[in-house]
Amino acid sequence: MANALTVASKEFSDIVKGKRFIALLTIFALVIAVALVSVYLNVIQTSGAMPRGFLGLAASTLVTTMSYFAPIMGIALGFDTISGEREKGTLKTVLAQPVYRDTVINGKFLGALLSVTLAIFTASLINIGGSIIALGITPTGADIIRIIIFILFTILFTMTFYGIAAFLSTATKRTTQSIIISVVLWATFTFIIPIIASLIASAIIPINFQFARNITRPPGGNITAISPEMQQLQQKMREQASIISAIESLTPNYHFTRIAQYILGVYTGISGTSIGGGLGREQVDVASTPIMQSLISAWPNILVLGVIMAITFIASYILFTRQEIR
Amino acid sequence: MKTLDYVIETSDLTKIYRSEGKEVIAVNHLNLKVESGTIFGLLGPNGAGKTTLIMMLTGLTLPTNGSARVLGYDIVKESLKIREKMGVMPEAFGFYDHLSAEQNLNYIANLNDIPKSERVKLIEEALVTVGLLEVKDRKVGSFSRGMKQRLGVAQALLKDPEALIFDEPTAGLDPEGARAFKDLVLDLNRKGKTIMLSTHLLFEVGPLCKSLAIIKDGKAVIQGNVNELIEKLMAEEGYRIKVEGKGSVGSFASTLTVVKDVKEIKLDGETIFIKAISDIRTEISEIASKNKFIVSTIQLEEPSLEDLFMKYYKKEVDA
Repeated sequence: MANALTVASKEFSDIVKGKRFIALLTIFALVIAVALVSVYLNVIQTSGAMPRGFLGLAASTLVTTMSYFAPIMGIALGFDTISGEREKGTLKTVLAQPVYRDTVINGKFLGALLSVTLAIFTASLINIGGSIIALGITPTGADIIRIIIFILFTILFTMTFYGIAAFLSTATKRTTQSIIISVVLWATFTFIIPIIASLIASAIIPINFQFARNITRPPGGNITAISPEMQQLQQKMREQASIISAIESLTPNYHFTRIAQYILGVYTGISGTSIGGGLGREQVDVASTPIMQSLISAWPNILVLGVIMAITFIASYILFTRQEIR
Repeated sequence: MKTLDYVIETSDLTKIYRSEGKEVIAVNHLNLKVESGTIFGLLGPNGAGKTTLIMMLTGLTLPTNGSARVLGYDIVKESLKIREKMGVMPEAFGFYDHLSAEQNLNYIANLNDIPKSERVKLIEEALVTVGLLEVKDRKVGSFSRGMKQRLGVAQALLKDPEALIFDEPTAGLDPEGARAFKDLVLDLNRKGKTIMLSTHLLFEVGPLCKSLAIIKDGKAVIQGNVNELIEKLMAEEGYRIKVEGKGSVGSFASTLTVVKDVKEIKLDGETIFIKAISDIRTEISEIASKNKFIVSTIQLEEPSLEDLFMKYYKKEVDA
């Protein structure tokens, strides 16, 4: 194990001192700053008061940015983890020493996990600190616990993409191949599958939007008794949403947004979207849900992310330990 | 500690690569023995199977068939032990460009579990040996090819190995770098290290070798002690003796035709070139004495390593 820690500490040091990591973290900090300023200006211009409390505002910027940042971070750290060393010849130098190959791959995963943890915690602290300072919202104890739990699952989400990129880095001969496939996969999970899911759902359950627009609120504007047309529309939207969810559940992104929804009560609509901005999806009121209950609800999604990460790690492990060094 | 007769012993060692439905035999039933304390040359053109053999000997690639022992350890079951005791400089190896020479060696020392207390001293010694102590804090990315090559030697020396393998050590080096490397190899060998040099550059490192194997298509076409191989070549090809002296060279040359083993005599000015099937220098001296011919030079011209390589390599190609 001493050697795995040796590899891990070098990997961690290389990553956190590397330009790539610093650039990503800087960009992420800027994105968070812009998001917070935008939320602040929006609040000032509209009501001047915080409408939804800490988790509603700070957490929504955190979840939205993490939904993009985490996969990019995972891919950025993993795409050359093996192929880069192979191309530079350093893999031969390392493997010519008395180390087992699993030591190398374990060390690399451990180093990446430490770096990802540092990045995600730093980014989250920037976001939370920014929210407290700029928006003047004070999180409660439960908010903090939920944010910490969310950060842990964001690390899992990032490591899932790291695992995918590291597997591609092990399987492909060149770093360029590995990064191209990783980025294509990310785009597929983030944009293409949600679009395809929406198209399929629309084809299976068509909604006449002309008809939907004609549904007007009853006099007084209070929808206490929903009209049969409205009920039918809502039913169709729910059916569409379940088809979209079923298709999107093939992506890690879907499971991450579901976890965010259960833990923080924030639906970003990042992975699916499309129809009705999440209408028809299960609404989660975290304020009245115990944390343990939220975790139990999110459990299947947590399990899926964990399984994807484990599969990619095991696949990289098997492939790397059996690969010919030439 | 038991002293081994052979540092490396292979038995029908075979490696077959399978790629795109095709089989490529990189190493073909190779039987090789490398004596302890020698400088062994693994000679052969590019693609002969030298690097694959080294990869197998260090446990980085598994053999398809056959077996081998390095420093007494089985290459499949005990490869970690081999890499603990054997310093290897692989072909096309690399270092971390963003780290200094010292930091790179420190990482290698860590991987070798060298205790912290010894690490500084060992790194310094290795850097002194290869002449890089003064640039130990410079990033390796700024090193020349020759400096990187020397750092490659330093990393192999760090663990104070019993034996060393250098794969294409002088490829890309300038003449000065190549000479420095040769001096280093001789020095290491004087200190008792067994060294295997794998190269296609016969003239660069060939003359250092005390024993060698010529590899062609994964097979050893010839192997053994260099002197014995040259003796063998002389026996097969004939001994070439050069004679110079004072007196009638032409008439003296004609008297030599009576010597039993003489195959051919040529005159070139005042020099006689004799080709014989044995070393007939004693007989030549006796005849010269009888004929009052004063011999100033009588020299056995040994075949060169190049002659050896060309003879056996060409024979194999022709076959």
